[in-house]
Amino acid sequence: MFPEALVLLLLVAFNAGSCSSLGKDDERFHEELVVRPLSGDHVNTYFQFTTRWHYGEKDNLYHTQLTPRVIAELLQQFAVKELHIGLTQGLWRYETWGYPIVEATSGAEMWAWFSGRNLTNGEVDRQWKELANVFSGVLCASLNFVDNTNSIAPRHLIRPQFMPANGQRFVRYSTLPREIVCTENLTPWKKLLPCGSASGFASLLNSGHVHNTKYHSLGLKVRVLCEDHDEDNCIVELTQTANLVYDLRLFELSNNDFSLRRLFGMGLNGFCELAASSKIYVQRNEQGERFQLVPPPTQEDVRSTRGGHSVIYSVYDMHEQFRDAGERLFNVAWLSPKSENRRRNLARPSLPPVTVHRYLLGHGQERGRIVTEVTNSHYDALPIMVQEMVPWYVHAYLHTLSIRRKPQRVNEYGRQRLPFKLLHYTPGKQRELPSHLEIGFMLPGQTSALITIDVDYLLLKWLEYPPDANHGHYIGAAIVSSQLPMGRNYTALPPEGHLFEHSFNATRPSYVLSLHTEALIVSLPTPDFSMPYNVICLACTVVALAFGPIHSVATKMIIVGRQASAPKNFIKKILNKIFRRGKAGDQAAAVPPEAAEEVALNAALASGLGSSSSRATTSRAGGDQPLLEDLDEEEEEQD
Amino acid sequence: MGLLSDPSISTQSKLVDGLARHVRKVCYALYVAGVAWFFCLALPEFNHGTYLSENALSPGLVYPEIRIDANRLAIQLLEELQRERKDHLSTTPHAWIAAKMNEFGLETHTHNYTLRYPFGGGKEYHGKNIYGILRAPRIASTEGIVFAAPYRAASSVHTDISASVPLLLAFADFARRKNYWAKDLIFLVTEQEQLGMQAWLEAYHDGDRDLDVSKAYLRPGNLPARAGSLQAALNIEVQDLEIDHVDVRIEGLNGKLPNLDMFNLVQRIMAREGIASGYKQAPRKKRRHSQSAFEQNLRQMLTMLASQSSGVPNGNHGLFHRYRIDALTIAANRRATHATLKGSPGSAAVPLLKAIEGIARSLNNLLERFHQSFFFYVIVNNDRYISIGDYMPALVALVACAFVKAYLTWSTLPALNAELETAAGLVRTQELNQELELEQEQEQKMQFEADSDTDKFELPYGSVLIYLTATLLIGFLCNVLPLQQYFLEIPMGAAPLTTSVLSFLSLIGFILPFVVVLPPGGLELLHVAFLLIYGCALIVIGLLNFALGFFAAVLTVPLVISLETKEENSRSTLRNSIRLVTLVMNPMMVIYVIVLAMTFYQFPELPLQKIMLRAATAAMDASAYGLIDSVIYGNWLYFVICTIFLPLWIICWTLALSKRRDYADYLDFDESPSTTPQPKVKTN
Repeated sequence: MFPEALVLLLLVAFNAGSCSSLGKDDERFHEELVVRPLSGDHVNTYFQFTTRWHYGEKDNLYHTQLTPRVIAELLQQFAVKELHIGLTQGLWRYETWGYPIVEATSGAEMWAWFSGRNLTNGEVDRQWKELANVFSGVLCASLNFVDNTNSIAPRHLIRPQFMPANGQRFVRYSTLPREIVCTENLTPWKKLLPCGSASGFASLLNSGHVHNTKYHSLGLKVRVLCEDHDEDNCIVELTQTANLVYDLRLFELSNNDFSLRRLFGMGLNGFCELAASSKIYVQRNEQGERFQLVPPPTQEDVRSTRGGHSVIYSVYDMHEQFRDAGERLFNVAWLSPKSENRRRNLARPSLPPVTVHRYLLGHGQERGRIVTEVTNSHYDALPIMVQEMVPWYVHAYLHTLSIRRKPQRVNEYGRQRLPFKLLHYTPGKQRELPSHLEIGFMLPGQTSALITIDVDYLLLKWLEYPPDANHGHYIGAAIVSSQLPMGRNYTALPPEGHLFEHSFNATRPSYVLSLHTEALIVSLPTPDFSMPYNVICLACTVVALAFGPIHSVATKMIIVGRQASAPKNFIKKILNKIFRRGKAGDQAAAVPPEAAEEVALNAALASGLGSSSSRATTSRAGGDQPLLEDLDEEEEEQD
Repeated sequence: MGLLSDPSISTQSKLVDGLARHVRKVCYALYVAGVAWFFCLALPEFNHGTYLSENALSPGLVYPEIRIDANRLAIQLLEELQRERKDHLSTTPHAWIAAKMNEFGLETHTHNYTLRYPFGGGKEYHGKNIYGILRAPRIASTEGIVFAAPYRAASSVHTDISASVPLLLAFADFARRKNYWAKDLIFLVTEQEQLGMQAWLEAYHDGDRDLDVSKAYLRPGNLPARAGSLQAALNIEVQDLEIDHVDVRIEGLNGKLPNLDMFNLVQRIMAREGIASGYKQAPRKKRRHSQSAFEQNLRQMLTMLASQSSGVPNGNHGLFHRYRIDALTIAANRRATHATLKGSPGSAAVPLLKAIEGIARSLNNLLERFHQSFFFYVIVNNDRYISIGDYMPALVALVACAFVKAYLTWSTLPALNAELETAAGLVRTQELNQELELEQEQEQKMQFEADSDTDKFELPYGSVLIYLTATLLIGFLCNVLPLQQYFLEIPMGAAPLTTSVLSFLSLIGFILPFVVVLPPGGLELLHVAFLLIYGCALIVIGLLNFALGFFAAVLTVPLVISLETKEENSRSTLRNSIRLVTLVMNPMMVIYVIVLAMTFYQFPELPLQKIMLRAATAAMDASAYGLIDSVIYGNWLYFVICTIFLPLWIICWTLALSKRRDYADYLDFDESPSTTPQPKVKTN
């Protein structure tokens, strides 16, 4: 099976080149910026800030320098070995933009690996929730909503990147597709950097401009690399990434020229003094080919050939650029030749080998079908794995799961099916667990696969609807993973590397690709929260209010005060009433307050009671002699 | 039935007896009340002013940003398109539209669909829609809004609306350069009128359907890209960039309407941009006639209900409603003369572009689907409406006639009375029962007591049930038969085929009461059953499509009230006239009469003979279109007529005929069951 092969591959890779580069107590910080012009007048800027600390023993974690204290404390408190958090707005368009350097799903995404001695599932659940709460505070995101109802333990799809990964390990994964990413997340994220936003590349990340993009994704990745069986020789690696896609058309420019100043609103003020390296990589081939760079880069034409596919970069080394003291303001401009048409290049990019889409079919608020479509435009068959997490308010039916196929160029799906190679399913539980589905299959070349599963929408309890009930509920994105035999469009870092330049010439037998689909909105059956619904609520309230008195009438003891020989005459009746009131007042004064309340009960009600109950009454209300006698008399009369 | 037939519960109260004597008066009073209530709705005191219920829409909150350059682009695109149209006389210039969308930076896709026309041996038509998606920067493609423009080929018989596509593209180009979109915008150009839209919507919502190639009529295929759940749609039909007024069309499939908020939104924004716009907006000249407000309102109401009742959408927007996407069409009409020009021709379309932008931005603001305000309403004026709570009493009053009559008929059923009398052991003389019948019953009773051990007279539930099933079966066959492979292979047009099948089945229904005669008590029971089914059917139809239910009720309730099964009714002229009216009320006849009236209205100059002939062919076409609509679009008018109205008419016809078996026959039948045509008639 290919997942096992994958793990093996990763481990081999780790052993080859991880721990060797750093000496003991060595702590390095690197900042990198990659600028890649994409097709359709888009520009991808990717920031990566890497802190790598060979802390050795665990006790050293109390004294942090470049690594934020939160991360160090994390390793002490939790058995977490690897942690990924992504906060993303927008959707990466694979068809036009190719593959991103780091993957993220829209909204918030978080997964972590736990490993340690005597770790149980329950303990991991507890730590997972606490971890989410910690980062909820650190990043000002709603990660505190991560709990068992929206977390799963992926079986095959998410592979560990920490070391040693061969012991007992647990993984938890969760997404919050509704999370909206904003300035309030960017600011705390920048505070984790050694230089903050004061200097270095992070000074470019101004919320006003960052959030004017088509796609922006903040990432945080922590992993621990220890030598096998040696907890005292460890490296902690913190990678913070910011992946932005600018749309040049939104600038309303007359041409396609752009510059750092235009993208970020300001030029670069040098580099972070604490950084060991500070480099800007600019892609020069494909879409970047037509641009001229001003000022010229320090290093032209760095060619990276990976899996038979070459990419050319130009590099600005900021340390070299500003070797001399003095003014450090810096700007890079991309100029397209003047001859080029104002109307931009319409050249279609080559389609990446695997693309994914997800959508909801069917209409109405009762049921529907979740559809994940995977297209393989490579000529050869590829292994595909899909992980779906269906929230508890949507019931998925496993027996309806099917994979249909069609040739890529054909419009309609026929009856041809693809067999499963792997199927893992954990059924969901209402209000407790999401359904978790992982499937694996081989997708033939030039073919699309349509994975459908029928779902029912649940009618929620009325307090479970959010204030904007008619907005709909979200179903998180699916993750699709594959192994590409070639490196076209592939830009992700190799798992053993930590810098962008480690991806240069990193040819491997295969490249693990992981893609995120769109999230979905389902409109669950929503009651009309306007008048009729209010009426129902009001009626329920009235019933609830009425229940109190009825309950008290039905359960309280009833003592019948007997009326002495009711007179027939009308005048006598009135007189009798007046006299009785006087008497009753006396009686009320005599009996304790509890009993008085009982006496006041309607006599008419009491007449319906059987004699046995009245007898029980008498035995308890023994102190009231006159009443007792009266009751006995009444019974006799009835007889 | 246990409750109703329990002899211990007496249905013979004085009130019921009293009322039963005046069934018709009570029912006619209800009928008149219902109709009067409906007319009252046109009075300003009975309807309400419109208001925006959804605050998120906040129309006009932002300044329109679209400028004259968008208008220039539209003019330029229109010129280009006119050149293209010369080369594509009967097809759509797909390549040009796709190239333009690509140039403006939209994610452009094409959608192919196939229609297999079932009639006359079967033919295949292929169509192609073009759509471009503006991927919104503020969302991960979870929600979308559709802006659609139908494209009509130059050879089309319909009005030229070629300006819609340039206008749509000009707006797309403007929208593409804005970063505030929080919903993906889909710009869709459909062809072949509603078929293209239907195919696109079906592909969007049911793209994975594994259709049986031999059975499916419309094969929508799948879409290469989507934009999440669609929140709203705006269909744009523009005759020319220089517009006179905008007609807002809302009636959708099966009489469904978009949310009233959406209509109000369009009205508000059009008013802000100074465009004359409204529901059934007429050109300026026609608007200047002096009518009282009441008359105008009533006319507006009736035209709305009339266009709703057929269930055929009056624009591409109508097909969205089925998927709970609120949609409407803004149909901009060409300015007739240039004398009243206000601005220069170079900026003629700017107000319309601004209006579209305003609508788009308001829809973009939506946080939730349209759910406030009304989905069921009647528009009496551009700013006044009647809500469902106000217009339903009219229908309920009409339908109540059927139920009241059903109850009173039931409680005075001779058989039931006989039963009661048997149970009570006494014979009460009744005014309503004639001596003869009573005698008959006595005889019957004696007969039963003599030859069987049951001493009760029982109603022939079984045979009535079988009769009802038979009529329903005829209705069902109307739906199924015309689409049978055997019939489809006959080289015959859709219209003659459908009409002949329908007429044949109607004829069977016509003959049925002559052939099958129900046992005693059967007619009365059938009458009660008829009234109940009729009432339920009307109220259900009225809930789903008020216009259809209401018109059907207005038309048929008087007949139903006057329908009587009692034999003693000596006034044979009344009886015969009821029979005649029932004959005319045959669904086929009603359709013919309606078509005849419309033909007469449209071609008053033709001689009567020609008109009748033309109406006949038109009616045949109408029935075929009804069938095609129901098969392709899911319009249930044909279904309702065939499965509900036709069986009801057959029952009604049976009741109007009141064919009774002579008592002697009945006795004969008892002795020798093989002599009667109905084999399954159950007796005691």
